[in-house]
Amino acid sequence: MTRYGVFALLATLCVSEPALAQNTKITGTVRNADGGAPVFGATIEVTGGAATRGALTREDGRYTIAVEPGTYTVRVRRIGFSTDSAAGVVVRAGATATTNFTLRASATQIVGVTVTGYGTQEVRDITGSVKAVTAREFNPGRVVSAEQLIQAKVPGVQVIESNEPGGGISLRIRGGTSINASNEPLIVVDGVPLNVGGGLSSGRNPLNFLNPNDIKEITVLKDAQATAIYGSRGANGVLMITTKSGSAAEPVLTYSTNFSTSSVIRTPDLLSPNQFRTAVTTFANSNVSKLGTAQTNWLDRVLRSAGGIENNISLAGIRDDARYRLSLGRLRQDGVLAGTTAERTTIAMTYSDLMLNDQIEFRANLKGSRSDDQYTPGGVLGNAIAMDPTQAPLTGSSYFQWTDPLGPNNPLADLAVLQDRGQTYRTVGNIEAKYFIPRVTGLSATVRTGFDLATSQRTSFSPSYAQQDKETSRGGRVDRSNPRQFNTVFELFGNYNRKVMGATVDLTGGYTYEDQTGDYPYYYSQGLSTDLLGINGVPSAQITQNSLYVEESKLISFFGRANVSYADKYLLTASLRRDGSSRFGPGNQWGLFPSVAAAWRLGDEAFMQDLPFSDLKLRFSWGVNGNQAFGNYLYIPTYTFGGPQAQYQFGSQYIATIRPSAVDPNIKWEQTTSTNFGLDYGLFNDRITGTVDVYTKTTDDLIFTVPVAAGTAVSNFVTTNIGSMKNTGLELGLTAVILDGRTSPWKYDASFAFSTNTNELTAISGSGTDQILTGGIAGGVGSTIQVLQPGSPVNSFFVYRHKKDANGQYVTGDKTDAQLYEDLNGDGVINQNDREVYKNPAPKFIVGHTSTASYKNWDFSLTARAYLGNYVYNNVASNLGHYSGLRGGAPTNRHASVITNGFVNPQYFSSIYVEDASFLRIDNISAGYTLRDVFGARSARAFVTIQNAFTTSKYSGVDPLAGVNGIDNNLFPLSRTITAGLSIGY
Amino acid sequence: MTRILRNSLLAAAALFVGAACTDPTVAPKSTINSETVFSEPTAYKAYLAKLYAGLAVTGQQGAAGNADIGGIDEGFSQYFRLLWQMQELPTDEAAVSWGDQGIQELNTQIWGSSNSFLGAMYYRVFFQVAMVNQFMRETSDAKLNARGVSTALKDEIAGYRAEARFLRALSYWHGLDLFGAIPLVTENSAVETMPAQATKQEIFDFIVSELTAIQADLPAARTGEYGRVDRGAAAMLLAKVYMNAETYIGSEKYSEALTEVNKVIAGGYTLDPNFRRIFSADNHTSPEIIFAVAQDGQKIQTWGGMTFLIHASVGGNMNAGDFSIDGGWWGVRTKLVIANLYPALGPASPDARSRFFTTDGFNTTMTDLTNFTTGVGSPKYTNKTSTGANGSHPTHPDTDYPMFRLADAYLMYAEIALRKPTAGATTGQALTYVNALRQRAYGNTSGNIAAGALTLSFILDERARELFWEGHRRTDLIRFGLFTGATKVWPWKGGTQAGRTTDAYRALYPLPASELIANKNLTQNTGY
Repeated sequence: MTRYGVFALLATLCVSEPALAQNTKITGTVRNADGGAPVFGATIEVTGGAATRGALTREDGRYTIAVEPGTYTVRVRRIGFSTDSAAGVVVRAGATATTNFTLRASATQIVGVTVTGYGTQEVRDITGSVKAVTAREFNPGRVVSAEQLIQAKVPGVQVIESNEPGGGISLRIRGGTSINASNEPLIVVDGVPLNVGGGLSSGRNPLNFLNPNDIKEITVLKDAQATAIYGSRGANGVLMITTKSGSAAEPVLTYSTNFSTSSVIRTPDLLSPNQFRTAVTTFANSNVSKLGTAQTNWLDRVLRSAGGIENNISLAGIRDDARYRLSLGRLRQDGVLAGTTAERTTIAMTYSDLMLNDQIEFRANLKGSRSDDQYTPGGVLGNAIAMDPTQAPLTGSSYFQWTDPLGPNNPLADLAVLQDRGQTYRTVGNIEAKYFIPRVTGLSATVRTGFDLATSQRTSFSPSYAQQDKETSRGGRVDRSNPRQFNTVFELFGNYNRKVMGATVDLTGGYTYEDQTGDYPYYYSQGLSTDLLGINGVPSAQITQNSLYVEESKLISFFGRANVSYADKYLLTASLRRDGSSRFGPGNQWGLFPSVAAAWRLGDEAFMQDLPFSDLKLRFSWGVNGNQAFGNYLYIPTYTFGGPQAQYQFGSQYIATIRPSAVDPNIKWEQTTSTNFGLDYGLFNDRITGTVDVYTKTTDDLIFTVPVAAGTAVSNFVTTNIGSMKNTGLELGLTAVILDGRTSPWKYDASFAFSTNTNELTAISGSGTDQILTGGIAGGVGSTIQVLQPGSPVNSFFVYRHKKDANGQYVTGDKTDAQLYEDLNGDGVINQNDREVYKNPAPKFIVGHTSTASYKNWDFSLTARAYLGNYVYNNVASNLGHYSGLRGGAPTNRHASVITNGFVNPQYFSSIYVEDASFLRIDNISAGYTLRDVFGARSARAFVTIQNAFTTSKYSGVDPLAGVNGIDNNLFPLSRTITAGLSIGY
Repeated sequence: MTRILRNSLLAAAALFVGAACTDPTVAPKSTINSETVFSEPTAYKAYLAKLYAGLAVTGQQGAAGNADIGGIDEGFSQYFRLLWQMQELPTDEAAVSWGDQGIQELNTQIWGSSNSFLGAMYYRVFFQVAMVNQFMRETSDAKLNARGVSTALKDEIAGYRAEARFLRALSYWHGLDLFGAIPLVTENSAVETMPAQATKQEIFDFIVSELTAIQADLPAARTGEYGRVDRGAAAMLLAKVYMNAETYIGSEKYSEALTEVNKVIAGGYTLDPNFRRIFSADNHTSPEIIFAVAQDGQKIQTWGGMTFLIHASVGGNMNAGDFSIDGGWWGVRTKLVIANLYPALGPASPDARSRFFTTDGFNTTMTDLTNFTTGVGSPKYTNKTSTGANGSHPTHPDTDYPMFRLADAYLMYAEIALRKPTAGATTGQALTYVNALRQRAYGNTSGNIAAGALTLSFILDERARELFWEGHRRTDLIRFGLFTGATKVWPWKGGTQAGRTTDAYRALYPLPASELIANKNLTQNTGY
C-alpha cells in the first residue's frame, strides 16, 4: 500500500451519491440460536425490485440495506451456520422494515470471530497463530494488572510478575528477540497501539491504568502472519486488548466487590540470633562486643498480612443502535512489605452508534485512571535481611542504628521517617468512524484517532534526622520527578470484503501516524532548611538542582493485507507494512515488513469426513517484523552538557563541560524473520480441541551496544546493528470437555498449554569469542553474573566451575580460589578468564493448566503452571553466604547457606549459586456459587479464590520465578492471597 | 448535512495524510548536535574542560550518571583510580580487601585479559585520545575560519590545543607504560578504520615529539591557571617518559631526562614546608605541585578518584570524621614491608611521612588479603585541610590528586646522578635534593644521609617513603627490574602470603580481550 493507494481510497469515498431512497431500508440483526450472540460477517442478499443488493452483518450482527420501496426476499448465509430467508418483506417509502434472523450453528464448525490488526476475522479463516482468551477464562482473584489475567493460558506466553502490587510485569511471547531494545510485546487497546509507559513511574506497570474488569478479551498474536501488520513493532508479538461494551438490550447494572488478604509464603533462610552470635564469635571476634542481647526477626517486623479491597460498578446496554457501557472501579491493595500500597480509581466509557442513516458506525472509548502508589523506601527489605538479629529494634525510645555508615540502617526507622510516593493520571481515548460505502457491498472506510496522556509525579522525602542523611551530614532531601508523556494516533484504513468466483476476498489497506512526546522535569533539593514541609514543599536548601529532558518520536506507516479464502478450505493471507521511524537517520528511516501465510482446512475435505476430526486446519506462515523499541536520536552525533557536579577547575573558576557522543549514524531496524507451521484440530465434535505450532524466529541486525576498537569513537561502546539471535520452539494447546453436563450435573473442562523455546545468540560481531558481561548482582561493585556470548542463550550465567570432591559434593570451606574452582584455561591461576557459560534463566519447558468445573450452581477453577529447566542465581545466598561480612564496623546477618558452605570470603561467581529453579505452582484455586433472580437481582455470584496456593521447587531461595533475568536479589516477597467477593447483576 | 459532515471529515483526513505526514524525521530536543554546538564561543573552553575532566570524573552527571565509558561500574571507571590501582595494588605498597569482580587479581599479579579494571583503564586512555583527536579536528584552522571565530578566540584556542595535546601525550604515556604496544590514533588518522598496532618506539616517539612541539604554546611554569598544564607539567611528563625509556624502547635516555628535570626544578616550584598539605583538601595551595587532577566536593564529584582513595583507606578503628568523610570503606592498606622502611609509624614518628600510618586494630602481618584489618592502615590522603578544616562535602573530597610534584623531580635527579654520571647531574646536588626531602620530613637534619648512603637501592626505598601511594610504584619497580621475577618478592606477590616469583611478562598488562575482538589488527602481549 502506498500513499497513492490511500488517495485512491479517499477518492472513492468522496464520490457523491444520488439522493434517493435515503431513508427507505431493510435492517435487522442476525443472532446465533445458541445463546443469542450476534453473528458477524453473515451475507445478506435482498432480491426483488430493481436489483439484487447485499450487505454483511457487522460485529453486533446488524445489517442495513438501502432499497427502493417494494417487496423483497431477504436471504442470509453464513459459513458454519444453516441458511435462512424471509420472503415478502414489504418496504414503504421512507420507512424501515426490520427482518431479524436466528441461525443455527452447524455442530462441527468452529464459529466466532477474533480481533486482528485493523479488523476482525473468522477464527476458522485465520492463517496465523492467534489465541484469544475471553473474560470467562481469565484468572480470578486479586488481579491488579491485565497481564495476570492470561497467566498460564496461552502456550508460548510467559507472564513474569514482580510480586509487588501494581509492580512491573514482563511478558515474553516466544522468548525475547532483542538485547538492547525491548522484548515486551506491543499492546493494542481497542485498536490503539500503546506507546506510553516506559519510564513513566519507575517500577510500576504501565498497564495499570486499565481495570481488568473492563476487559472483554485478550488476544495474543504470536506468529508473523498475525503481527506483521504491526510491522516495526510486532517482533515480540502483539497483545490485543478489547474492552467490554454493551451487549444486551436491557441495561445491565453490575456491582462487584471483593476483599483479600495476602501473607508472605517464604522468607530467605538467615542465621538465627544464636547462630549469628556463634558465627561472629568465631569469625569476627573483635565484633562480639558490638552484638546485642535481643532476638529480633527483622523480616517479621517489615512484612505483614496485607489487605486489599476492590469495588466495581458498571452499567451497560443497547438502546436503539447505540451500545454503551460505563464503569467505575476502585482498588486498594497493600503490599506484604510494609510501606507499599497501590490504590487505583478507574473510569471507562464506551459508546458506539450507527449514525447518518446507518452509513457510519461511530465508536468512542475513553478510559481514565488515577493511581496512587506508596513505595517502601529503598533498602528496607535488604536492610531487614542484613540487620544483626541480636539487636533490639529500639534502644529506649530511639531506633537502634550502627555508628558505621556502611552498616545497614534500621529498616523500621526508615519506614517511619522516609516517604516515597507517586501518583499517575492517565487518559486513553479514541474515536472511530467506520463508513459503509453505499452500494458497494462489503466496502468500508475507517478513520480512527486516539490519544494517550499520562502524567505522573514521584516524590520522595528524607528528613535530616533520617539515618542516611545523618551519616552523610547532608541534611534533609526532597526529590521530585514529573514525567509527562503524550501520544497521538491517527489511523485511516479501508476494508473490502467480497465473494468472487467461489473465493472470499478481504482486503485491508491504510495509513497510520503516531507521534509521541515526553518531557521529564526533575529536581532535588538537599540540605533543606527545615524538615517540616515533608514532601509538600521545598524550603530553602543548600543545593537545588533542576533538570529537564524533552523528546519526541514519530512513526508513520502504510499497510495492506489481503485474505483470500477459496471454497472455504484454502486460505491465503499476504500483508505488507512500510514503517517510517524517527529513530533512524536519513536512508534508514523506512523499513518494509512483509508476510505471507496459507492454511488448508483439511478437515473439511470430503475424504476426511469418516475420521473423528470435527476440525482440522494446517497453517504455514512466514514474515518479517521489526523492532525499534529503544532510545530516540541514537543516530545523531550530539553533545551532552555536563552537570554542575561534573565540572572542571580552571583557576578559581569551575567550567561546565560538553562531551560529544559516540553514535552509529547508520543505525537501523532490527529484523525478526519468523516461520510458523501449525495445525488447529477438533476431535469428537470438538470435545477435544487444540493447536500445535512449531516456529523459528531469527533476529538480525540486533541493536546492540558493543565494544568498538579503541580510539575510533569517543566511547568504548557504541550502539549499532550487529549480531543475530534465534528462537525456535514448539507449542501445544489442548482443551478437553471431559464432562459436558448432559449425563450428569457435572461439567468439567481441562486445558493444557505446553511450550518449549530455545534461544541462542548466534553472533555478535562475527567473531566466535565475543563476550559481553551483563546481569549486575549485589556483591562487590559492578559485579556481573551473566554473559552474552555467541552460541549460548542470551543472559547465560557466567561462573567459575565449582570443584567437587570424590563424593560428588561441592568443595566447601575457607579455601583459595585454586582449591574451589576449576582452572578451565589451564594457565595455573584462577582469574576472570576461567569463567564459563553455565545454564540460563529461560525455562526449557513451560506447562500451563486450567481446570474449570461446575455442578449445578457451583463453579470451580484451578490454574497451575510448571517451569522446567530454568535456573536462578541465588544472589541473596551469594551476597550473604560468607563470614567476611561479619567483619567491618557493623556485622551483618548471613544467609544460612554459610553454615554448610563455610565460605569466609565471598564466592559471588561460583556455580554453586546457580540453582535449578524448576517449579510447579498452583497459581489459583477458585470456587463460586451463583444464584439467579434473587432480591431483585438477575444473578448474584459469591466466590472465593486462593492465589499462589502452592509451589514446589528445589530452589533454595524464596521464589523460583526470580524475575525475567533469573537473578534473585531480595525480590519483593511472594505472597499467598485469599480473595472473597460478590458480584450482583441487575 | 450528512454529506457536509462526511466530506469535511474526509477532507481533513486527506489533508492530514497528504500534508507533512509522510516524513518521520524529528529533530532532537534536549541535546545539541555538533553543527550547532560551536556557535557558542564558550563551547571550546567547555570541551577543553571535558578533556581535563576525563581525568577527574566519570561522566556528564557528576558522581554518577551518563558515563563516559561502558562495560564497568561507573565509579570504577575513573581515570586515576584505575591508574592508581594498577600502579599500586600489584606492588608491595598496597592491597585491596574487596571482592569486586576481578579486583583481587590485581593484588597478586594473576590478572587475565578479561579483567574489567584493566580493560577500563585501556578504554580510559583511548577515551582521552579520541576526545582530544575530535577536539583537534573541531579546532582546525579550516573549521575555525569557517565558523568565523574571532582572532582573539583563535589565539586562545591555540593554547587549548597545546593543552589537549599534553593530555593526549599523558594518556599515551600511561597506555605505553601499562599496556606496551598500543594503536597510535591521532586527529589525522582515518576515522572509522581499524587502527593498526604501533610499536612501543612509535608511541614513545609520538609522546616526545608532541611534548616538544607544544612547549611554545603553553604558559611558563607556574604562570597558568590552577588545574591546567604549563611548561613545567610538560617538562615533568617528558622527564618521566625519558626516565623509563629503557623499559619502553630498550635504550636509556637519562641525559634527555635530566634536561627536563632541570627545567622542572628551575620552574619555581618549592617543597611544601607542610608535607601533609600535599595530600589534604587544600593541596591546591601547595607550592610543590606541578600537575594535579582537581577534585571538588561540590563541583567535581566522582565515586572513583579521591572519593575512592580517601574512603577506601579508612576503616578498622579509624574515625572517619578525622578525615572529614562520612565513613570508611575498609578497602586499601599497605604491607608491613613498606611500613618498615620508616623509622616508626604513627603520630610519634620522627619522619613526617609516616605519621598517618596506623596499626591500631590491625594485625600488621597481612594474613588475609580480603581482611582489611590485616596489614597497616595507610590513610595518606584526607578531606581535611592542612589547618584541620573539613572539606566541602563529606562524601566527595576537595583533595586534588597530586600527579606530579617537585619531590619526584628531585629524586629523579638523584637517580640520574647515580645511573648516568656523565649526563651532568652531580651526586653532590643529588645529596642536597635528597636531604632537602628528608629535612622536610624530619623537621631538622637528623634524618639526613651521608653521601655514601646515596645508592640506587636507597633511591628506590626513598621513592617509596616519599612518593608512597602516589601511583609511581609499579613503574619504579619495573625500572629497577624488581616488579616481576624472584629478586624481590613481597607478601601476596604471585598469590601466596609469603610471595613468590612471577613471570616477567606480567610487567605489562594484557590488552583487553574485548579490544582484541573489536580490533583485529592487534596482537596480544606476550604471555597472555
